[in-house]
Amino acid sequence: MAEITLVEAITQALAYEMQADPNVIVLGEDVGKDGGVFRATLGLLDKFGPDRVRDTPLAESMIGGLAVGMAVQGLKPVAEFQFMGFIYPAVDQIINHAARMRNRTRGRLSCPVVFRTPYGAGIHAPEHHSESTEAIFAHTPGLRVVIPSSPRRAYGLLLAAIRDPDPVIFLEPSRLYRWAKQEVPDDGKALPLDTCFTLRVGTDVTLVTWGAMVKETLEAASKLAEEGVNAEVIDVATIKPLDMDTILASVEKTGRCVIVHEAPRTCGMGAEIAAEVSEKALLSLQAPVKRVTGYDTVVPYARLEKSYIPSVERIREVVHLIMEFA
Amino acid sequence: MNIFNLPDLGEGLADAEIREWYVKEGDTVKVDQPLVSMETAKAVVDVPSPQAGRIIKLYGTVNQIIKTGAPLIGFESESVQSSPIVKKAGGSVVGALEESEHSLNEDEVVVGVAVPAAVKTPRVLPAIRALAKQLHVDLEMIIPTGPQGQITAEDVQRASQGGKQHMGESQMEELRGVRRAMAQIMAQSHSEVTPVTIVEDADLTDLSADIDMTVHLLQAVVAGVKAEPALNAWFDGKSLKRRVFSEVHIGLAVDTPEGLFVPVIKGAEALSASKLRAKVNAFKKEVTSRTVAPIDLHGATISLSNFGTITGRYASPIIVPPAVAILGCGRAREVPAVHKGKVAIRRILPLSLTFDHRAATGGEAARFLAAVIQYLEGL
Repeated sequence: MAEITLVEAITQALAYEMQADPNVIVLGEDVGKDGGVFRATLGLLDKFGPDRVRDTPLAESMIGGLAVGMAVQGLKPVAEFQFMGFIYPAVDQIINHAARMRNRTRGRLSCPVVFRTPYGAGIHAPEHHSESTEAIFAHTPGLRVVIPSSPRRAYGLLLAAIRDPDPVIFLEPSRLYRWAKQEVPDDGKALPLDTCFTLRVGTDVTLVTWGAMVKETLEAASKLAEEGVNAEVIDVATIKPLDMDTILASVEKTGRCVIVHEAPRTCGMGAEIAAEVSEKALLSLQAPVKRVTGYDTVVPYARLEKSYIPSVERIREVVHLIMEFA
Repeated sequence: MNIFNLPDLGEGLADAEIREWYVKEGDTVKVDQPLVSMETAKAVVDVPSPQAGRIIKLYGTVNQIIKTGAPLIGFESESVQSSPIVKKAGGSVVGALEESEHSLNEDEVVVGVAVPAAVKTPRVLPAIRALAKQLHVDLEMIIPTGPQGQITAEDVQRASQGGKQHMGESQMEELRGVRRAMAQIMAQSHSEVTPVTIVEDADLTDLSADIDMTVHLLQAVVAGVKAEPALNAWFDGKSLKRRVFSEVHIGLAVDTPEGLFVPVIKGAEALSASKLRAKVNAFKKEVTSRTVAPIDLHGATISLSNFGTITGRYASPIIVPPAVAILGCGRAREVPAVHKGKVAIRRILPLSLTFDHRAATGGEAARFLAAVIQYLEGL
């Protein structure tokens, strides 16, 4: 079986589900003829036609509104925003309508929509193209926030997101779009939502991360192993709702927890996880819960981008620091 | 580098100490080649190599303690790690994506919780953890007494003053019956009695070969008591009172798989050899069938342990309070000995007498032992 990239796995999942379910509609800017800004929808127009693969005007609020309308009427729209920085015009539709439709109609209407967007820094792009503002959506009741970090998880989690009866914010780490390849069987098997994935089993410290930071975190774990520290690495994958069971079970084993995320530090998901860990695993903690995060600034342009994204070095330093608590 | 972590060298051993490295960094080793000698709480064990290859790091020096599961040896990785080829790719109108043919191996990914903790880490508040560190107390050795299995400050304080060691509660078997009684009596004896043990040999060469040794020993004890009644007594250390007996009630130690039984031959001084033998036989049978009457297990004024029927020369037998003496009889053996000015092969029986020095003098004990030997030698 040929190995495919994360973005190709997205295309594969979309094609599978469009084939399986005629209600699945893809819409967004340039998703049709052009195949999307990162080519995630490449070939779908030819295969499924213009009724199901719809190019929209350059108006994100309209994309959001269209998707909500389709969803409440029984379709399963998968809407693409070209970059996370362009999602804000649609936030009114997402937060005020998609997230609340089930509650507002007392369960009569649900809103089975997937809002897809590339997210994160590291691709030398201009402003608005490097955001990691997942916490805004995780903070909003009624939304599920899912972030894959490998081709297989991109495929399995996107299928699960489309099949879910409620709105899902599906954030694709653009830095990992073509970074690596993997065999991804096109078998239509979804992966579970609301569940962490343990990428590496360890005993000394639990590294909790998601999205593109999985790459640096795994690299740090390999280096730490050479230095005698055996790290467990958890990919949270669904950051809302949080699978604290998995994180707590790991921290109870290791006694130490470091959360790594690219998003700004203040009110990031790291703060939420740290709070949960200190509330529920206090008796197991052997060191303070630490965060390695981006800074409370706008993501800088290309030259300083590397300084912004948590590095393998920064992760290692923090782990060594907390290993000194015994 | 492939890290080889210290495996559990016993059943649930927490750590082991490095005794000797057989290899050094840079050595190339074969599978199963001994790498290091480790001393555990149970034994000294050679740790074999889990793989062939070149050693690039040793984690620890001689006399250093390594925790189970912690890195021990670093091997050179066999596969050469090639950095992924990065090329600037298209596929986006904005920015530049890192693109590579790097193949992602995720065979080990687990959905949800991975391997749960094999050993539960101690549940303890940070402040108490700090206290344990200050007092040099190993938290894993503490049996927690707090709510939800928490280790309390008191637990740490107690452990710092030499508290109980954690032995794995679930795997501990509770002592029952005679084994439990033995543990209690021996501990009582150890805490109350002031024991002194005298050892001496009896020369049995001139004794008839078909003599009934157990009966002969019982009669020798009676002879010893006649010579020195102070050893045939009960003693109360609290009131400092003693009671010397004219009857000789001999407790005879009988070893069984269930534990130690000490049935008492009452009034041994009045029993003939054949009566003594009949009594011994009856007790052996009753002990085996567990039908011995409780009354027959109490009231010894002196005890005899003939452990020599198994093996052993001398011992320091433990007195069963309130009695004040016990005679231990080792295995008879033939040795070259000086006899009538010449070296000759003699049959020697080693004897060990423990007496409670609170209740008897050394002189009394020595005179008792001399009389026992005199009787045994048939003089």
